[in-house]
Amino acid sequence: MAQIELEGITKRFGKISALNNINLKVEDNEFFVLFGPAGAGKTTLLKTIAGAEFPEEGLVRIDGKIVNHVESKDRNVSMVFENYALYPNLSVYDNIASPMRSKLYKKDEEYIKKAVNKVTEMMKINHLLDRRPSQLSNGQRQRVALGRCLVREPNVFLMDEPLAHLDAKLRHFMRGELKEMQTSINSTTIYVTHDYMEAMSLADRIAVLNHGEIVQIGTAQEMYYTPCNEFVACLFGEPEINLLEGKKCVCSRTGEMSLSIVGSDKALELEADVRNVLAQHGADNIHIGIRGNDIQFAFEDLGDEWIKGSVYANEPIGNKVIMTIMVADKKIAITCPNDTVADMDQDVYIKLNLKKALIFDGNTEEFITRHNIDSFKKQGKGVQ
Amino acid sequence: MAQLVLKNVFKRYEHQKKNIFEKKKVLDFAVKDVSYTCEDGEFIGILGPSGCGKSTTLRMVAGLESITNGEMYIGDVLINDLLPKDRNIGLAFEDYALYPPLSVYENLAFNMRAKNKSEEEIKQAIDYVAPLMKIDDLLNEKPTGLSGGQKQRVNIARAIVRRPGLLLLDEPLSHLDGKMRQQLRQEIKRMHHEIKCTTIIVTHDQMEAMSLADRIIIMKDGEVQQIGTPLEVYDNPENEFVAGFIGEPPMNLMKSTIVKSDKGFMFTFENSELKVEVPKRYTEVVRDGMKITLGVRPVDVIIAKTPVNSTPVPIAIFENLGDERRISVRVGDMLLSMTTAEDVYYTPGEEVQLIFQEERTHLFDPETGERIRPRGEQ
Repeated sequence: MAQIELEGITKRFGKISALNNINLKVEDNEFFVLFGPAGAGKTTLLKTIAGAEFPEEGLVRIDGKIVNHVESKDRNVSMVFENYALYPNLSVYDNIASPMRSKLYKKDEEYIKKAVNKVTEMMKINHLLDRRPSQLSNGQRQRVALGRCLVREPNVFLMDEPLAHLDAKLRHFMRGELKEMQTSINSTTIYVTHDYMEAMSLADRIAVLNHGEIVQIGTAQEMYYTPCNEFVACLFGEPEINLLEGKKCVCSRTGEMSLSIVGSDKALELEADVRNVLAQHGADNIHIGIRGNDIQFAFEDLGDEWIKGSVYANEPIGNKVIMTIMVADKKIAITCPNDTVADMDQDVYIKLNLKKALIFDGNTEEFITRHNIDSFKKQGKGVQ
Repeated sequence: MAQLVLKNVFKRYEHQKKNIFEKKKVLDFAVKDVSYTCEDGEFIGILGPSGCGKSTTLRMVAGLESITNGEMYIGDVLINDLLPKDRNIGLAFEDYALYPPLSVYENLAFNMRAKNKSEEEIKQAIDYVAPLMKIDDLLNEKPTGLSGGQKQRVNIARAIVRRPGLLLLDEPLSHLDGKMRQQLRQEIKRMHHEIKCTTIIVTHDQMEAMSLADRIIIMKDGEVQQIGTPLEVYDNPENEFVAGFIGEPPMNLMKSTIVKSDKGFMFTFENSELKVEVPKRYTEVVRDGMKITLGVRPVDVIIAKTPVNSTPVPIAIFENLGDERRISVRVGDMLLSMTTAEDVYYTPGEEVQLIFQEERTHLFDPETGERIRPRGEQ
């Protein structure tokens, strides 16, 4: 149990700055995820907290105490690595017992036995105690590595992409197991991943990193429903959010301000709250961020607000079909039911559900607003 | 343009003698009794986990491996003993293997020069394929300056520039990152649509096979498990392996014992209160005490909105992934997961009632993994 504070952390490798003035406060008992593309500085930040890297500038505080010059072993943190790092010559039992046999955290054998049994039961590896790591599957190895980390009840758990080595199916199950286990872990956890599903599923809060800087900190719902810019919006969701260039225009039917997307002269009506915010916003150049789930399609023209395009690709992926549609040289990916059949280059009409759209400034790529924005900010859940 | 026929093809690798005391080791078959026909212009995906023999099959078609037993035809020609160069095949591997000192144009022209084609013919062919793979503005670049995705585009373009009868792609996308992979997947599909060349792609990624291929061949341990269109293998898996391999998140495969009660046959699960009614169409093929594996996809289990007649179970895990929500409950030691795109929210511990979509449940024999079908259904 510990609170972690980072203050103005800067870390350079030669001339390259890997972390740039990072300020972060992780609450006691929080499950905090560091998320971002490769090379964003996630692992470096984790290592800075672990004490495996020392920052050039800034302070690391654990429970209010500055630990910049405290060695890793004295910080009482416990780390899990992507590549397990198990002792190949020791059995599963001895691997998990190893942290409790170290000089610093020495416990008697009876205590160790109890602790190992408890954690292996939780991880469902209690039938494997006599095996060597080489006799385990990857999923089992990762569970042993997690077990070894959990057994010690440290102040802070640090996990560096613990599921990245597993295949998709196993990752799905392990993520579930981890999520279920969370309630029984009474420690602050910092978890690094580049998989948005892991981040959204596990995190109490997420920090999105890019080029060594924090882009946004918030709950999974805030990231998904109200991302602070287009970069964050693109990181969450599969297929990636569609960003359409649009501009303000006046709807001929209602006389109100509405949006039209480039390549189409159809005016798309806006909700009143979005209209009001946009009217005060100077930029004329708007990007409409809309996810594949929020676009309807039809193979015939159904009138107002339906935009014509052509099928670029139609990819069945099991429980759904991803259809890519060309509208004025811009590809738009939409999610369709799994029995959708379409020929390449066939005409198709789409309708954007602007109630769910995210509106960005076309020049700065910053988030402006969305329909019902307050409901997403106040409640973590994201209500209609 | 060609039809490819494989008839009872076997492959066995033999280990080299390491020393004089060791006997020549004969391994099990890497490919066992594989037969299929690729129609002219068809896009076939060979899918399976690593070591299932999919690449070996492809290499035999290409002529890079000898065939231990069986026959292989392109059109009407038996190609067992034909040299690779005479098979009129285009090949692209996972690694790009481009000639680094040559420009993209020269790389594409290389094989055609070897065949003594005129410069004019070469230019014409390259002008045709370059826009197909979207590399027309890269023709003067050297490979070192290209990104992984661009290199793979050039590699595939080089395979199709000679207009082969058969195009073979071995994991062409596995080196690329997610976004690039998705883009190139679409380009490959469009390229095939344009040139309509019989194509075989080998992959371990079920999503890749599903989205690209007209028909998928699923292999395991050297044997073909099922051949069918993407929707067929998804909706109608032949056995437990196929059921678990296709689909993301994977199908729930739950060990169950059938119990006959006064309400009819029920699925029961070890260490769990949950009972699920056996769909009517299966009543003739199940019996009391029978052990089966119940397969149901996460999208085909629904949480009842109004009370129904089923055992309430507590929610173990709720994950909001934005595009969809995944909900899991514990059934004994097993996790049963569900996905929904609806905006619903649950908290762990909350009790819910489940509805299994009857017509979308599958039964498998737990011993053999074979599908148990209702009588009269094939």
